[in-house]
Amino acid sequence: MAPRTYRPEALNTSKGLFVLACLLAVVAMAPIAWIVGLSLKDNKALMLGTEAVFALPYTLANYVNLIGSSQVFGWFFNSLVVAVGETVGVLVLSSLAGYAFGRLEFPFRRTLFVLVLFGLAVPEQAVIIARHQMFNWLGWHNTHLGLIVPGLTSAFGVFLMTQFFRAIPKEIDEAALLDNTPPFRLFWRVMLPLTLPAQATLGIFTFLHAWNDYWWPLISATKKEMFTLTVGIASSQTNFAQSEGLGFLSAQAVFASLPVVIVYILFQRHIVTAVSGGAVK
Amino acid sequence: MSASIEIRNVTKRYGGLTVLEDISLSIAAGEFVVFLGPSGCGKSTLLRMVAGLEALDGGTIDLGGTRIDTLPPGKRGVAMVFQSYALYPHMTVAQNMGFGLENIGMAREDIARRVTAAADVLEIAHLLDRKPAKLSGGQRQRVAIGRAIVKEPKAFLFDEPLSNLDAALRGRTRLELAQLHARLGSTMIFVTHDQVEAMTLADRIVVMHNRRIEQIGTPMEIYRRPATRFVAGFVGTPAISILGVKAAELGPRGLTVDLGSAGVLQTRLQLPVAVPAAGGLEIGIRPEDVTVVPPGGDGIPARAEVVEHLGERTLVYARLPDGQQITAEADGRSTLRAGTEVKLRLDPDALHLFAADGRAFHVDAGGYDG
Ligand SMILES: Nc1ncnc2c1ncn2[C@@H]1O[C@H](COP(=O)(O)OP(=O)(O)O)[C@@H](O)[C@H]1O
Ligand SMILES: [Mg+2]
Repeated sequence: MAPRTYRPEALNTSKGLFVLACLLAVVAMAPIAWIVGLSLKDNKALMLGTEAVFALPYTLANYVNLIGSSQVFGWFFNSLVVAVGETVGVLVLSSLAGYAFGRLEFPFRRTLFVLVLFGLAVPEQAVIIARHQMFNWLGWHNTHLGLIVPGLTSAFGVFLMTQFFRAIPKEIDEAALLDNTPPFRLFWRVMLPLTLPAQATLGIFTFLHAWNDYWWPLISATKKEMFTLTVGIASSQTNFAQSEGLGFLSAQAVFASLPVVIVYILFQRHIVTAVSGGAVK
Repeated sequence: MSASIEIRNVTKRYGGLTVLEDISLSIAAGEFVVFLGPSGCGKSTLLRMVAGLEALDGGTIDLGGTRIDTLPPGKRGVAMVFQSYALYPHMTVAQNMGFGLENIGMAREDIARRVTAAADVLEIAHLLDRKPAKLSGGQRQRVAIGRAIVKEPKAFLFDEPLSNLDAALRGRTRLELAQLHARLGSTMIFVTHDQVEAMTLADRIVVMHNRRIEQIGTPMEIYRRPATRFVAGFVGTPAISILGVKAAELGPRGLTVDLGSAGVLQTRLQLPVAVPAAGGLEIGIRPEDVTVVPPGGDGIPARAEVVEHLGERTLVYARLPDGQQITAEADGRSTLRAGTEVKLRLDPDALHLFAADGRAFHVDAGGYDG
């Protein structure tokens, strides 16, 4: 065979790896497809065996029933309030703290920063009993506030924003100083807009985490009308084998994941940036 | 609008390290002054102290007769152009230029008027709606200058603003800065380590070295009558040649120096008595004052080691029999090649004499008009 010119782009595709990747993708997608399939089947048909998923007929009856059930919408609303509230709160607090840690001089700055970072190492389980009692005493259980507040202290958020603020060149501050910029305006008009990519990353992660959170809402929200979607859907599961109403339950699950899917589609680009640590622009 | 600057006994320390010691300097209103010196000599620090970005550890700074080192940067009436330009990345060109005016509460129409006027002067009017990321280096540079101009400051401060530009653009921008200065008549301080920028732009050059001001003078003074051996060596490309003095004798016509294999030269130099006539003396001579004698002529023998044909002139880096290096100039049409023997002639009236403590003495009285 005659020597051929070296093509760098040929490195990108190894057929074996490609096939393997496709297989993994199918494995990862299967449960989602399964749930969507179940949600489109008549509940009675599913009671005879879930292999009914593979055969006609399909129906939207479960989704129609869903719309008739006010409970799910209530839970959805709770989840939305909690997730949005937590996201906004985390962004505000992390930005303020990150700006202070990253760009201001004040006593015990380093010590305080190390203390905040300890938060990364403390698991929620370790503090949950104390928190439960504290919230009990405050009367915050079964309130939106009680569901939101614990999520506001984001050590990761403070860390991320600190790194971002720190990376802004010093000359930008200096130019702003020469431009007569008052302190808060410097933060609001000059510094904060430069951290938008980090805000997007942190916002998406916080939202997804809050939306999917199960443990704290399970503990704090004991009244049915204060359930979030995760807790609510779990509570409508009758037993672990779940032979009745499987289609309806699946429809609820699909409905519950809609916001996550929407967030993902809208912010796809930022999620890629976040996961790749900012290396891909 | 332009104002004088008075720097008095200014000192700066970083921890135990003193970077500037007892610096005093007067800059006249409308003057273009360049701080020139090797990297790390404290040029930026001094400029940043005028701007208010570094605190003083001693001394005072006045602008237009008012003490300013007590004021925050924004209240000093100065504008600065950074080496990195430091534009606000998320703002358009127009917003970048207008931001400082917005901060002092200027009316929107007035801001727009000033921004447009400055943009016209700098030929960036078509870029006003763009963000910095969509601009070339040269365009960013202009925006940074525009941001300074709109403030109508009493003094402009530039910290190596041309060093991120490519050579051609640097030359052009240099020229435009000179024109801008002529048009605005503002006081300007310009920091650079590039002597060509200093020579071409400055009314006066402040040569800095080792925490101190080495010399203050017009470009011609700095070049023709360097105050110290350091200044002589730092200014001029290719660098001045330094030769050791074997023996020196002060006669009625002036100083006679024995340069070993570079011969004995009778100069018109009249030395002050304070300088010992021998011991640690050196002479300096610029390449253009060392000529390659045409074949057959008389001169000091040397060996051409490297020959650079620049077109309008030819540079000859030669070595004398005793091993000392000397740079000479030959005609642009010279066909001289490296490795050949040449004869050199040194202009005795162009000699600079350096005492052991670095002080310099000159025969040449300076330049002349015309
Ligand atoms: N923030 C600082 N902390 C400590 N040393 C500094 C600081 N800024 C500058 N220096 C030192 O001060 C000296 C002068 O720096 P600079 O003014 O930037 O020099 P130049 O602009 O002439 O290159 C250098 O030796 C530098 O290392
Ligand atoms: Mg510098």
